[in-house]
Amino acid sequence: MLQFDAQILGNRELAPGWKELVLRWNGAAGHPHAGEFLTLRVSSALDPLLRRPFAFASFHEDPDGASRAGILYQVRGKATRILADLGTGAFVDVLGPLGRGFPDAAQLEAEGSRPLLVAGGVGLGPILFLAAQLEAARIPASAAGPALIVAGFRNSAAIPRAGFPAGTVTCTDDGSSGYRGTVLDYLSRELPPGNWRLMACGPAPMLAAVATLARARSWEASLCAEQWMACGVGACMGCALPVPGGASFLRACVDGPVFGRDDIDWGKEGGGR
Amino acid sequence: MNIDPRVRIGPLVLSNPVGVASGTFGYGAEYEGLMDLGRLGAIYTKAVTLEARAGNDAPRIVETPAGMLNSIGLANPGLEAFVARKLPELRRLSTSVIVNVAGSSEADYLRVVEALEEAAGPWSPRSGAGGATGQEGATGVDGYEINVSCPNVAHGGLAFGTDPAQVERLTRSLRAATRRALIVKLTPNVADIVPIAKAAEAGGADAISCINTLVGMVIDTRTKRPALARGTGGLSGPAIRPVGVACVWKASRAVGIPVIGLGGIMCADDALQYLLAGASAVQVGTATFVDPRAALKTLEGILAWMEGEGLAGIGDIGALFGRS
Ligand SMILES: Cc1cc2nc3c(=O)[nH]c(=O)nc-3n(C[C@H](O)[C@H](O)[C@H](O)COP(=O)(O)OP(=O)(O)OC[C@H]3O[C@@H](n4cnc5c(N)ncnc54)[C@H](O)[C@@H]3O)c2cc1C
Ligand SMILES: Cc1cc2nc3c(=O)[nH]c(=O)nc-3n(C[C@H](O)[C@H](O)[C@H](O)COP(=O)(O)O)c2cc1C
Ligand code: FES
Repeated sequence: MLQFDAQILGNRELAPGWKELVLRWNGAAGHPHAGEFLTLRVSSALDPLLRRPFAFASFHEDPDGASRAGILYQVRGKATRILADLGTGAFVDVLGPLGRGFPDAAQLEAEGSRPLLVAGGVGLGPILFLAAQLEAARIPASAAGPALIVAGFRNSAAIPRAGFPAGTVTCTDDGSSGYRGTVLDYLSRELPPGNWRLMACGPAPMLAAVATLARARSWEASLCAEQWMACGVGACMGCALPVPGGASFLRACVDGPVFGRDDIDWGKEGGGR
Repeated sequence: MNIDPRVRIGPLVLSNPVGVASGTFGYGAEYEGLMDLGRLGAIYTKAVTLEARAGNDAPRIVETPAGMLNSIGLANPGLEAFVARKLPELRRLSTSVIVNVAGSSEADYLRVVEALEEAAGPWSPRSGAGGATGQEGATGVDGYEINVSCPNVAHGGLAFGTDPAQVERLTRSLRAATRRALIVKLTPNVADIVPIAKAAEAGGADAISCINTLVGMVIDTRTKRPALARGTGGLSGPAIRPVGVACVWKASRAVGIPVIGLGGIMCADDALQYLLAGASAVQVGTATFVDPRAALKTLEGILAWMEGEGLAGIGDIGALFGRS
């Protein structure tokens, strides 16, 4: 974890309202892992005030030793509008990597199950990063079969040109591209039987639904939650998510944002995107 | 000119006037990797209560123009876990540690302070003097900040902080329990802060700190519900700074004990407003979320300003108020 001013190497549009930000990464901050995130202070003005969290979507080490980290983001409100206007060469205040990400390749390998990667909305970035990291670790070749990526969008125009791995199942609500229906429709009706191992990131209702499905099908599952954050480092207790039963809370920023299927009361998450 | 940045709060000498505010810095360890904690004047811990508290339902925070609302609900591991897990970490720090204490009744506050006195052991000015902590003799507790001003709990909190008689009685009973620095943290959610400040002084407080957050609400017009699960929350950040500066200006003229100013300090200029208004020290809260190094940058800026003004001590700043 490090706070530093990162130079913007690219900030291009992938679809209307979707952008990819690529940052010159400071190697001293450490290598990010899929599911981990960074926070950005997009301007030194007092409004918007708080840093904004974004999940890593890519990480590359160049031959000269320098490295680049990318995020995929949706332009939603004050901070992301300012971010969208920043040009190549500008600097942005970065804090990261933060949080606990998805199980790593070694753990998945040991489980011997088949990775099922599910993305909705702004959950796309971390899922594509996870797919790339598993690919690099040759996990798709594991005995139980290659990873399957299922990503949901409103319609074909809303699908960012983000370089989906071959075999990715895209779902659109209106059927204008790929499977017609939600990711949940696809998972519950079309998914071939298998020894699946779910890893998902997306809006709170989607996470609640896939957690329920995972429980019903006895899949292991790791879900990446989203919650409003102030500090991002575990100090403020602001990003609390209720555990089942509601007697206590876990912090999205340091206990997560990736949690096990039964760690959080996904239906009562409060917030989400 | 040589600047002496130290500040005296009752028996305690802080190495410099800039601390980090309760609830915005955890118990210190959270920020350890991001800065040299030893350069902070003080760490005011997250509130400690007798029993563990899970805190309020989520969502607990929402951004507002130049500020934020929180309704954390004093989530903390409770006295026992604090002593077992946090105190040993705090003992290692080479900065003064002020434990923020909250409760639902006078007896609650007293039991927390008594238990911490016992766990931390006897304190002498030497063990707490600026710079000497974190070394031999550090007890992990250099003082208490009594939170009678939390707007986010159903019992205690604000109810105490708005009644001068209760503030005086509570302060007096805690005073009898400790020789450590005793600071009473006041709420701005009152018609006049002066009677409350005087009550804390009469009860034997070494200092008062102000301000805690202001009660506020954000409504999501899409869902037609409050953005926070609990409805209201406490407003902090630069939006509240003028309220805090006015409270410090009023309170510091009404009491003889030091006033610690906080509320919306983002940079040295903001802190200097508090010091000019009569504060002896300051705390940086919400700004740390925005920039983890905000407190240290604030300190550097204050020292640079003092150099430019030719001032030797923090206490000289307030004397400049109203002069040009
Ligand atoms: C761990 C984590 C990882 C994230 N990763 C990504 C990512 O990879 N790509 C991406 O585009 N976004 C991501 N987000 C969401 C991103 O932080 C928000 O979209 C961003 O903060 C919006 O800022 P804004 O000022 O543009 O919008 P605002 O004006 O703050 O918000 C616009 C609207 O978005 C909603 N909203 C914004 N932030 C949150 C939140 N944290 N929780 C619930 N609702 C919210 C609110 O309903 C609000 O009305 C992530 C969030 C978290 C917590
Ligand atoms: C997330 C959060 C948690 C807080 N928790 C506490 C607390 O436990 N005890 C307390 O006395 N004040 C608490 N406060 C109040 C701050 O210490 C401070 O008084 C207030 O935020 C104003 O300062 P600021 O504008 O610099 O943040 C909290 C504030 C925030 C934002
Ligand atoms: S955002 Fe502060 S504890 Fe998680």
